[in-house]
Amino acid sequence: MTNAIVLAALTDTWPYVIAGWVVAFGGIAAFALTTVLRGRRLSRQVPPEKRRWS
Amino acid sequence: MFSDAWLIAAKDLRLEFRSRVGLNQVLPFALLVLILFAFALDPDRGLLEKATPGLYWVAVLFSGLLALQRSFAVESADGVSDALRLSGLDPAGIFLGKVLSVSIQLLILELMLGIGVAVLYGASISGWFLLIPTVVAATVCIAAAGTLYGVVAAGLRVRETLLPLLLLPVLAPVLIGATRAFEAALNGTPSEGWPWVGLMSVFAVVYMVAGIFGFGPLMEES
Amino acid sequence: MTTENTGTGNVANPDPGPLSTGSRMTGVLGGLCLIALGILVLFGLFLSPADSNQGDAVRIMYVHVPSATVAYFGCFLTTVGSAIYLWKKSQWWELVAYAGAEVAALFTALTLVTGMLWGRPTWGVFWVWDARLTSTAMLLLLLLGYLAVRRIDADYEVRAKRAAIVGLLLVPNVIIVRQSVQWWRTLHQPPTLFSDGLGSKIEGLMLFSLFTGFIAITMVFVWLLIHRFRLAWLEEQRDAQGLDAAIFERRAEGVPS
Repeated sequence: MTNAIVLAALTDTWPYVIAGWVVAFGGIAAFALTTVLRGRRLSRQVPPEKRRWS
Repeated sequence: MFSDAWLIAAKDLRLEFRSRVGLNQVLPFALLVLILFAFALDPDRGLLEKATPGLYWVAVLFSGLLALQRSFAVESADGVSDALRLSGLDPAGIFLGKVLSVSIQLLILELMLGIGVAVLYGASISGWFLLIPTVVAATVCIAAAGTLYGVVAAGLRVRETLLPLLLLPVLAPVLIGATRAFEAALNGTPSEGWPWVGLMSVFAVVYMVAGIFGFGPLMEES
Repeated sequence: MTTENTGTGNVANPDPGPLSTGSRMTGVLGGLCLIALGILVLFGLFLSPADSNQGDAVRIMYVHVPSATVAYFGCFLTTVGSAIYLWKKSQWWELVAYAGAEVAALFTALTLVTGMLWGRPTWGVFWVWDARLTSTAMLLLLLLGYLAVRRIDADYEVRAKRAAIVGLLLVPNVIIVRQSVQWWRTLHQPPTLFSDGLGSKIEGLMLFSLFTGFIAITMVFVWLLIHRFRLAWLEEQRDAQGLDAAIFERRAEGVPS
């Protein structure tokens, strides 16, 4: 009985699909968040005329 | 360019010959790697014989890393790198000279390791016609890429960990190619090995060109 | 481009400039990204059918394949940027190379993880040494090497030049590694066993989902690239400013108050 459950869990693909999408979107979001937050922090330290490339 | 290359190669080889670090430390390290593989892979189970070509080239790669690290360590000691820059020698010549000296040291190492593998793993050596070009091509690949990335990592505090990180992924095709070519030679199917020699030759050309043109800019300020 | 998201001015400093790496353009692009991602989720996870062979696992492909493509494009940017930097000493292009490599590393890692999560239900194992996965793992290592050089503790010119040499060789390395891994894994194996995870025929809503995936992931890549580029720019400005400030302070020490 437990074998059947284990087998069903292993062959059930949806957990992997969800995990894949969560990792992908999560990874992107984490990178985006850290980049933008670091950007905000650095913007305060840099004098205004140098905040954009020419 | 070539006369400068001879100069640098002669200097490096003379240094090596006098200090004998290659003989006293790098070669024992290489043999140690072979022995460690035997411990890990259990000679009785036949894995060692089957894996011999791969293990040989892994040992060459790791020992080659040591030889390369040393080749650049001698430069950074005592302000030699500044002296090198001020000497007016052609950077491309310096590159070629270093490649030549590393290649010679590697070839000697590979010969010794080959004997080691024949003795320790009971490998029989056949297929000379393919083995020799394979060894030459792989050696130039390792020396050229190693010298170029060696100077990229030179003079940095992190160079001991940076050079392997840069070099080993780059040399993976050489490991694959040299191992497959050796397997083809030892299996008596040399025709399968030649494409790999071709791949390694392309690799060697790419890195020789990159080194000849890249050494100059890299040496300007280290 | 400087009117939104700026700090409040005062008499001494009327226009402080933008306070983040955002701008009108990235705001619009970001909004479009979110819309595209929403459509992708809708079609990829819900509206498109499961594959006849792989079942629902094919849905991972809608994210996995575009990630791989975008990662390789990032590498291409790094090599081009490095080449132009070495040729013209253009800091702009060097920063493109740096940002491109970092975003490419992100998507390479995502490609690997989604690939493994696809492989488990499909092949039963998380990892096989097939040409594609192995090449992607090697790509990640090559990128990490470039990033390690770019981040060494040294002056900008030293860092940039050394990294540029490594970056210039990135695409040639990738080509040689892919070729060797391909030969290695396919010379003695029937090609059907580990063929393209999408199968030869993909059509209808599945094709549309994949297409949407490409659009969405590419837009996200561009958005991330722009922000990462601007962040790198700010970092270089701050480092350069640090030196200027130190010189200014040292000079001020000599002036009697």
